[in-house]
Amino acid sequence: MSGAPSFRRALDRDAPLAAVALGHALRAAGLPVTPERSATFARAAALVGAGERSRLYWAARLSFVTSRAQVDDFDRVFAAVVDGMADPADAQRGDPGAPAIPRPRRPREGAREAPGETAPAAGRPGGASPAGAADDAAAGEGRPVLVGLRAAGASELAGARLDELDAAELALVARLLRGLSAAPPPRRARRTRRSPHGGHLDVHATLRAARRTGGDPVRRLHRRRRVRPRPLVALLDVSGSMAPFARAYLLLLGGAALGARAEAFVFATRLTRVTRPLREGRAGAALARASAAAPDWAGGTHIGEALRAFNDGFGRRGMARDAVVVVLSDGWERGDPALLGREMERLARLAYRIVWVNPRAAAPGFEPVTGGMRAAMPHVDELVSGHSVAALDDVVAAIGRTR
Amino acid sequence: MSASRPAPSAALAELLPDVDALVARLDAVDYLADEGLATAMLLALRLPQPLLLEGEAGVGKTEAARALAAALDTPLIRLQCYEGMDSSEALYEWNYPRQLLRIRLAEAEGTRLSEEDLFARDLLLPRPVLQAIEHPGPLPAVLLIDELDRADHDFEAFLLEVLADAAVTIPEIGTVRAAVPPAVVLTSNRTRDLHDALKRRCLYHWIDYPPPEREIEIVRRRVPDAPPALAEDVVAALGRLRAADVQKPPGIAEGIDWLAALRVLGAERLDAQAAERTLGTVLKYREDQEAARAGGLVA
Repeated sequence: MSGAPSFRRALDRDAPLAAVALGHALRAAGLPVTPERSATFARAAALVGAGERSRLYWAARLSFVTSRAQVDDFDRVFAAVVDGMADPADAQRGDPGAPAIPRPRRPREGAREAPGETAPAAGRPGGASPAGAADDAAAGEGRPVLVGLRAAGASELAGARLDELDAAELALVARLLRGLSAAPPPRRARRTRRSPHGGHLDVHATLRAARRTGGDPVRRLHRRRRVRPRPLVALLDVSGSMAPFARAYLLLLGGAALGARAEAFVFATRLTRVTRPLREGRAGAALARASAAAPDWAGGTHIGEALRAFNDGFGRRGMARDAVVVVLSDGWERGDPALLGREMERLARLAYRIVWVNPRAAAPGFEPVTGGMRAAMPHVDELVSGHSVAALDDVVAAIGRTR
Repeated sequence: MSASRPAPSAALAELLPDVDALVARLDAVDYLADEGLATAMLLALRLPQPLLLEGEAGVGKTEAARALAAALDTPLIRLQCYEGMDSSEALYEWNYPRQLLRIRLAEAEGTRLSEEDLFARDLLLPRPVLQAIEHPGPLPAVLLIDELDRADHDFEAFLLEVLADAAVTIPEIGTVRAAVPPAVVLTSNRTRDLHDALKRRCLYHWIDYPPPEREIEIVRRRVPDAPPALAEDVVAALGRLRAADVQKPPGIAEGIDWLAALRVLGAERLDAQAAERTLGTVLKYREDQEAARAGGLVA
């Protein structure tokens, strides 16, 4: 076991080698390390002095970390390498048995490592067979990008029902959903922007440009209307009857909140806005917050009242205006269906389209006849089931459709 | 790439031999930097390499660049990014009306006008990046590129190309090379992910909220005549609000505003009444204010 002094001694003796060794360990943990960054670290360490642990820590963190999300991984690797749970030389040698380098938290299947990125140092304990690339390709793994849910790695999960996933499968679905971008159709904005061709003539800019050419308008400049993404609002029912689906849907909302800048709400008996925790990747906190706000968690749904709270507090003020609104609920209304109908009508007048995701709609012979569903249906533009991984593709398609 | 990297000035190495020297200089301009941020700034100056700062709004990203310029006693040159920004707003632009006037004048007087006269240095309007590169030294100017996430994708790549060489090529004049490469601070509010090529060239630092003791020092520095107990109350309340998951957690800037407002009203401690009267300085959403009142978070 080599202690903290050993890394610093290595740094003194051969700074580039030590820097590269730390870089390798970090790359094995999933950080985007390049030789350039290792070089930066070597110079930074020389500059601030590596005598104190904290100086060394900051020199390394500033050089290697490129986003906040990497800080935790970085801290673990740094502690392992510098505080002496692992000898950096192991990483350098690429010893497949090297135990101490922490593995990335991502699941193995469909990992987004490009083949070249799987450094020999990674060691992948419990990972794929050592045969490597050929095997990976055969198993449909190791592809760099996942485009849709039906992409590599997802095939065996495509038919899985979202309410029957175990924790490991849920983690995989989380990965898949990250590659799934729910994008509402764009709308034309009021403002215009310069356009290289087409659109209408920009008289101002043309005359301004004409000053360069002695007042002769040699170049005609154009503007056209800007295109903006439509707002996306998601309202998720987390009452008892929806609970099995809520975990997976919350992941979908998280992806939408990040990718499509969606606003997200959850409701059982009360409406809670969870956009911010979702954008920060804290889906668990979002659920906890929602359950704290809804004391009778599994006690039934008041969809109508939740919608009224949304319309009064947010929708009417502009959040739902011209937006695509997605309601994820089984429509089992405990309250007055008439209220639900009225609030859906209000929402329909504000929104561009309303997509209702009801996992029960997949059942054979399903008819939207329960009190809540029947009241809501006249105002719903599209009803999709979204009950399985593959069916989520339909949800995304429904969100992207134009009116 | 590192071969073409401009060398930092010797004056800088003399002024700031280590992190502690920079901390002391920042302290002298009333900016309390923690070790991480001070190390980041020192490396940005001495390597030299652009520094990308991210953090919650109001945590002091822009203020850090301002303080750095004050500590060096050099100008802070700010480029505020926005959608659709192009190089004529970042680098330079020719002063077309004056060029035209010069032509008309030459025509009227019947004199010959050479191209050098028309593209003379005094007809060039330097924009922030060129201004920073032309700063004579010996200490570098601080170029703050604020909210880079608002600019377009291709602009950031172009910008970093310029910054890597610390030189601007103007076809009519030639290449303007920096005598002293500017210290570049970029900030982002993470409304979109910045390009990897950009991140590759930058040092990255995430600014966190400071620990309470440090935050008390900071707000007291800014509102020196506030009672110490009041500052402690304010910082404790800020901590509760941030932990409570409000829509917009209050930053340090809001804390300073809050303390200043309380002092103007003559409050000694943060009690319910004082909090009620000043809540608007710290929470800017109605839902947040209601949640804070209901949860008894402020006082």
